[in-house]
Formats: sequence, C-alpha cells, structure tokens
Amino acid sequence: MDHIEFSLTQSLDHCIKCNVCTSACPVAAVTDKFPGPKYVGPQAQRFRHAGQPVPDNSVDYCSGCRVCNEVCPTGVKIVELNARARAQIVAERGMPLRNRIIARAGVVGRLSCGPHAPLVNAGLSIPPLRWVIEQIMQIHRAAPLPSASSYTFRSWFKKHQPPVGARKQVVYYHGCSTQYYEPHVGKAAVAVLERNGYEVIIPTQGCCGLPLLSNGDFAAAKGRHMYNVESLLPYVRRGIPVVGTSTSCTLTLKEEAPELLGLHNQDVRAVAAGTYDIFEFLRNLYDAGDLDTNFRPIQRELPYHPPCQLRAHRIGMPVLDILGLVPGLRLNESHAACCGIAGTYGLKKEKYQIGMDVGAKLFAFVQAANSDLALCDSETCRWQISHGTGVATKHPIEILAQAYGL
Amino acid sequence: MNYDTIVIGAGIAGMLAAIGRAEAGERVLSLSKGHGATHWAAGCLDLFDIGAGDPLAEIESLIAVHPDHPYALVGVDAVQAGAGRLRAACEAGGYPLVGSLRRNLQMPTAVGALRTTCLVPATMAAGDARQLPRSGDGSGPLLIAGFHELRDFFPPLVAANLCALGFAAEGVYLQVPPTERTLDFGTVSFARLFDRPTFRADVGRQLRQLVQRGRYSRIGMPAVLGLDNATQVVSDLQAAAGALIFEIPTLPASVPGMRLYRALETALQRVGGRIQIGAFVRHAEGRGNRLEAIYSEAAAREQRHAAARYVLATGGIAGGGVRADHAGNLVETALGLPLRTPNARADWFAARFLNETGHPVFRTGVAADASLRPLDAAGQVIYENVAVAGSALAGCDPIREGALEGIAAATGWKAGQL
Ligand code: SF4
Ligand code: SF4
Ligand code: SF4
Repeated sequence: MDHIEFSLTQSLDHCIKCNVCTSACPVAAVTDKFPGPKYVGPQAQRFRHAGQPVPDNSVDYCSGCRVCNEVCPTGVKIVELNARARAQIVAERGMPLRNRIIARAGVVGRLSCGPHAPLVNAGLSIPPLRWVIEQIMQIHRAAPLPSASSYTFRSWFKKHQPPVGARKQVVYYHGCSTQYYEPHVGKAAVAVLERNGYEVIIPTQGCCGLPLLSNGDFAAAKGRHMYNVESLLPYVRRGIPVVGTSTSCTLTLKEEAPELLGLHNQDVRAVAAGTYDIFEFLRNLYDAGDLDTNFRPIQRELPYHPPCQLRAHRIGMPVLDILGLVPGLRLNESHAACCGIAGTYGLKKEKYQIGMDVGAKLFAFVQAANSDLALCDSETCRWQISHGTGVATKHPIEILAQAYGL
Repeated sequence: MNYDTIVIGAGIAGMLAAIGRAEAGERVLSLSKGHGATHWAAGCLDLFDIGAGDPLAEIESLIAVHPDHPYALVGVDAVQAGAGRLRAACEAGGYPLVGSLRRNLQMPTAVGALRTTCLVPATMAAGDARQLPRSGDGSGPLLIAGFHELRDFFPPLVAANLCALGFAAEGVYLQVPPTERTLDFGTVSFARLFDRPTFRADVGRQLRQLVQRGRYSRIGMPAVLGLDNATQVVSDLQAAAGALIFEIPTLPASVPGMRLYRALETALQRVGGRIQIGAFVRHAEGRGNRLEAIYSEAAAREQRHAAARYVLATGGIAGGGVRADHAGNLVETALGLPLRTPNARADWFAARFLNETGHPVFRTGVAADASLRPLDAAGQVIYENVAVAGSALAGCDPIREGALEGIAAATGWKAGQL
C-alpha cells in the first residue's frame, strides 16, 4: 500500500476536526462553492468508495495550492485526497474539452511558439476573440494567458557556446514555460550555473504532467512522468543533479507525480531524489562553501511572493537565503497564501473570479510596495501577479544573474 | 544556511524563545509542522487553576514542594517576564491582554460554565464573572447573542446554564446581515465578516434594538468578532449597542488563538526571525553532547538544518511533541530525547476517564536542568546546546493544572534569554 493509499484508509483518523485547514484555505475564504479542505478531504473521503458514485462535486473547486497541508497540525494529506477524488470524478464522467486543452501546456506552447508568436499573441489580446474562446472553451476572457516567445529555449541553447573547462555537470529541466514562453528565465539559469563552474546539460524532456494531474487526467500524466524518468535517469544514476526554475515542475518530479500516481519504483525514486529547485541547489552549494558569492551590489527593495508550489517543497525560502547574500538587495516576503491562479485553475471561466479574489491580498501587497518589479519563482503565478497589479514580474534567478553581472 | 538558533515548534513557548533570541541579535529560524497549540486554545493565558485566587502565590508554594516542575526550573521571575513579553507582543499588535497575575479570572464558556484563566484579551474583559449581573441584583440582565449559522454556539444553552449558576442571562439568535456568503459559516468566516465595517454596523443595529427592549447591560458573543482588528470591532459594536460586549471562546479553529499567533508572528518577523511552517522535524544528529543538525520532512528527501543552538518546543502528548510508537513506547518526536514517563503502558491511565488526579501519561516529558537542557535518566545533560520549553517538559500536566500558557510563556521566555 503506498503512502496516499495509506492515508486514504488510515491517516483520516489523524484528523481531529480542528478546522485549522479550513480556516487557512484561501478558496474557502472567498467562495461558497467550496466548503473547505476538512469537508472535501478527510470528511468526504469516508463516503467515497470504489464502485460507488462520487458523493460530492465541490472538491473540483480545490485549487491544489496546498496551504491546508502546510498548516494541518496532524499531517493529514488533504491535497492528495482531493486530487485523487477529482481524478475519480474525471474517470467516471470524462474530462471537459477545455481541461483537456489547458492540461496540455506543452502542446499549446508548441503550437503558439515560433516566428508566428507575435500573431498568436496579438490574436489572444483581441477582446472579441477572447470572448469567442470563452464561449467555446470556457477559458475566462480576462484570464492571464502568457505571451508565446518567438524562439524556443532549446533552439537558443543549441547555438549557445558553453564555457570551456567546466569540471562539474548539472542537468537543467526547463519545463514548458521556459521552452515556449520565457526562454530568458532559462538563459539566466544557464548563466548562473555556468558561472558556478557547471557544464549545463539539457536532455530531451517532456511536460512534467502537472496540469494533467491537477485536471484529473492521471493516465496521460503517468505517460509523461515515465517519459521524463527514462530521460533523466541516466544522469541521476551518474550522480548528476537535475535542477529546475519552475517550482511546480520540480515539485511534480520530486513528489506530486510519484505520490498521486502511486509510482514508487526505484527509477522514479532516484529521479525524485536527484531533482532540485534551482535556489535549493544554490543554497546547498553555499552551505558546502561552493557558491560564487562575488556579487555586485543591487540597491533595491523588491516584493517577493514565495509561490505555494515552492512552499509545498517544504524547503523554506531558498530565494530569501541566496538573494539575501547580494549586497544592498532587500526582498519583502508577501505572506500571502496564494495568488489564485494555481496553475490552470484561475484561467477557467467559472473559477476566474475566485482566483482573482484569492489573489486580492497578494495584489494589494505588491501594489503597496510601490515597485516597478516583483519577484516570484512560479511562472503562472508571475502572470497572475502582473495581471492583477500591472507590475512587471521576474524569476529571482534573473536578479541573481544580474548580481553576477551576467 | 547557518543559524544561531533554530526553534522547533511555533506555539507560545517556541515563539517567545525565538523572539528573545532574535532580539538579542541572533539569526533565528522557527520550524513547525503546522499551526497547532495557539489555534486550538482559547487565546487566554492560564497560569494556574486554583479557582478565583492568586495564581502566582500558588506557583510560589508549588515551587517549594515540586522542584522538578517547569515553573520551579525557571522561577517566578520568568513567569512574570514571560507573561509580560506575551502582553507586550499583543499590545504592539493593538490587541492588549488584560488581567493580573495576582488574581485569576473566571470567564463564561461556550456551554455556559465558568472557566478559570488569568489574562484575557481586552475583547473578553467584560465577561469577568465578578462583574456579570446576578439574578435579582437589579441591574440589566446579560444577553448572550449568536447566530444559527455558527455551529457549536447555542445562546439559549449558554444563557440557561449561566442562569443555573445564579446569573441573570437570556439567549438570542441574531440575523446574519446580508452577505455574498450563504453556506457553511465557520468561526473564521464570521471573523472575516466582522472585519467589514458594514457587517458589524448591521449587527450593532440589531443589538441596539435588543438593548432598548431588554435593558441588557452586557452582551456575550462568540469569539468571532474580527480577525485583523478585533479591538476596533468590539468597540464599534459597544458604541452601536450601548452595552458592554465580550467574547466567549469557541471550539477550534479558535479566532482569539489565531490573533495571538499573529501577534507573536509579527513580533518575531519584526526582529528578523525566519518562520517555516509545514516543516516536521523528524530526527537529529548529535556528536558527543552537542546537537549538530536536525532534519525536517520535505518533498523527495529531508531538509537538513544546522545551528549553534536549538530550542525544542513541540508540546506534550496533546500537542504532538510526544507520541506512542507502534511498540507501545512513548517517544519525543523531533530529537528522540528520552522521556521521563510512567513505566508500563498499563500505568499510563487511571481507571476513571475523568480522574481526580489526572492520568500519569500526561506528565510525560523531557526532564531538564535549570538551563532547560535535556537530561537523561541518570541526570546527565544530553545536549548542552539544546533548551526545552513548554509542555514538552516533564514534571507537569499543563492542561489539568490549568497552566498551559503560563508554563509555555515562562519557559519559552527563559529559553529566549539563555
Ligand atoms: S487541519 Fe488537519 S486535523 Fe485539522 S481539520 Fe484539517 S485535516 Fe483535520
Ligand atoms: S489545496 Fe488549497 S484550495 Fe485546496 S483545500 Fe487545500 S487550501 Fe483549499
Ligand atoms: S500560481 Fe502561485 S501562488 Fe498561485 S497557486 Fe500557483 S504557485 Fe500557488
């Protein structure tokens, strides 16, 4: 019996019904459509049985932000219960077309990215067209869709000249958003890693499968995950770490996919244990005395939102630790539970407003900071913050590259 | 990242220890597995339950006869200083605690009984039983007001039980003012609504009408009167109603407990402390009599944390800092420290559930010296760079003694000064 299987049957009894989770859930705080983690998680689970219809649909309104897991004092795996319950609904009733499409970030990105990207982007900014998309696809007309890049990250990397004499190697997992929408994040990551003496390797890789997991298509997600495991395993076996700039991709490789899909063989475990968030990796370098700390001062004070997908790694705030070493730079942590987008959640027509209401506290924080720039490790989060505030956003690795003068 | 001090546990004990060390200029990290202690408790400071007497005097005599009790380890000065630091943190958050360490208070509960405590938030102050109207004393009666939509708080029941104790009380249900929320109200959803001026103005109008009709002098309401700005909410309601208003603690999630946690959290952040929740510390690595590192549960692999010194403030059996393993042994969950414990499982519990002298198992904890360093069975210091604070300490039964927050504040404060 795997970990979650175990909590489905056993750790439910660890729930002491204290309501701490429901009090912290950012979605339950803003909508009546969602009764909160205690109810849809440990409580409703008692009424879910294989072969019987799903007792309640409201679990679909869980955004998967994991705030409940973070605060539960008894360690109930609420989010995992919710994700599996949603997958049961999808298995019973099938998945709406819209979810099928947005769950395939890679495919959408591949179609929009390239020299024709400006056209696609212009099209997506035409209100009538967005209205049509909303009608047909149920993607909210105002939701923050990313702008496709006119070149892919991999095409840039192919032409990139690696430094000579690197003695260490590291694998970079770029994920969909760096590949199709934000190649500049990947460029900054490569620059920082090379500056620290690494040769950066970029093996073939597919989407991590998180959007499929969060939309309940477990079968497709399993295919994605096994593809990545196969591709990354040879490196991990040689002791080469895998690092990523997307906190949700790295979390999926580390934990979400193995746990939700019940994949626990040696290969899956080895890849999980060899995967790092990039700032977590840099912090380990620092702890070992191996990080280049020759930073140029940056006299700035910037608002920083640690995304919930980062907090779900349960590794603290490596961005604050590392950027705290840059002279002059001060980051102010948002202390907001969630930006509301939760991957694809806030794009959906019926959930867009919930997402904006969830994000209101964060938006107010960013606006009050009176800065023309905010930092966040997660891409969908950055798009949502910019959408909610009009303030430009960057991945912290871009600031670190700047501090190195790269 | 190297910290000067890592504190495990984010209840009152852990937070006061972290604040103390950070105020002294240390780099401090607070690790906790979730929200606990504060969010479950009433948000008051229980010092020692001797009914309506002088708890500090009682602690002084306790110290004389029980040198192993946590109060005895740290002394009366620490009790006063700890309570004082907690008050200061709350005060700074605009949420003052009131009362005196020299006189216990008796406060109405959500079932209309009286509960002994010592310091209460100002939002509860008018519930002090000494001031409540008694039947036949000629003053206007007490009104207990709640909402049908708030589960587990039944004004007629509260009022009836208070009447049985000789108070003059009536219960009433108020109408929930119009809101976009229609379903499933919990304590925190009500608190957020009360933070809105329009919502509390509407409730204030209802209360005023009731006061005009019933000549009520005081009104008791569930402790959901605002999360961000409770002091203001209560004073607005009093002004509107024309009567004194006090909060009565509810079942968890406890809004007053959350306010207390927030005040401590803000105080710690203000002095530069780092807070990481969702970090369940599971084991430790020591060398000789020094603790070298601790490991918290994380995605895919554990996270290692290292510091010069550590404070263990994970709570006792009720807080999850002590639990029974599958072999039936009690274990301290974070560092694996030995426990001073009743020997065999058969000795854990007394025969009666509501036993007069309590159940021995709840006295389980880590034995410590006057510097709160953990001791083994032979009385030797196990780690000289660890201090233990709060209910994780042996020699007390904090819930039974009615001393939960008092012990936490005294030992937590002390650990912060070491
Ligand atoms: S926080 Fe944990 S223990 Fe409390 S109600 Fe939620 S799931 Fe249950
Ligand atoms: S994952 Fe987030 S939205 Fe879902 S129940 Fe937990 S806190 Fe609420
Ligand atoms: S977008 Fe950001 S804050 Fe929002 S759900 Fe994702 S990671 Fe969490």
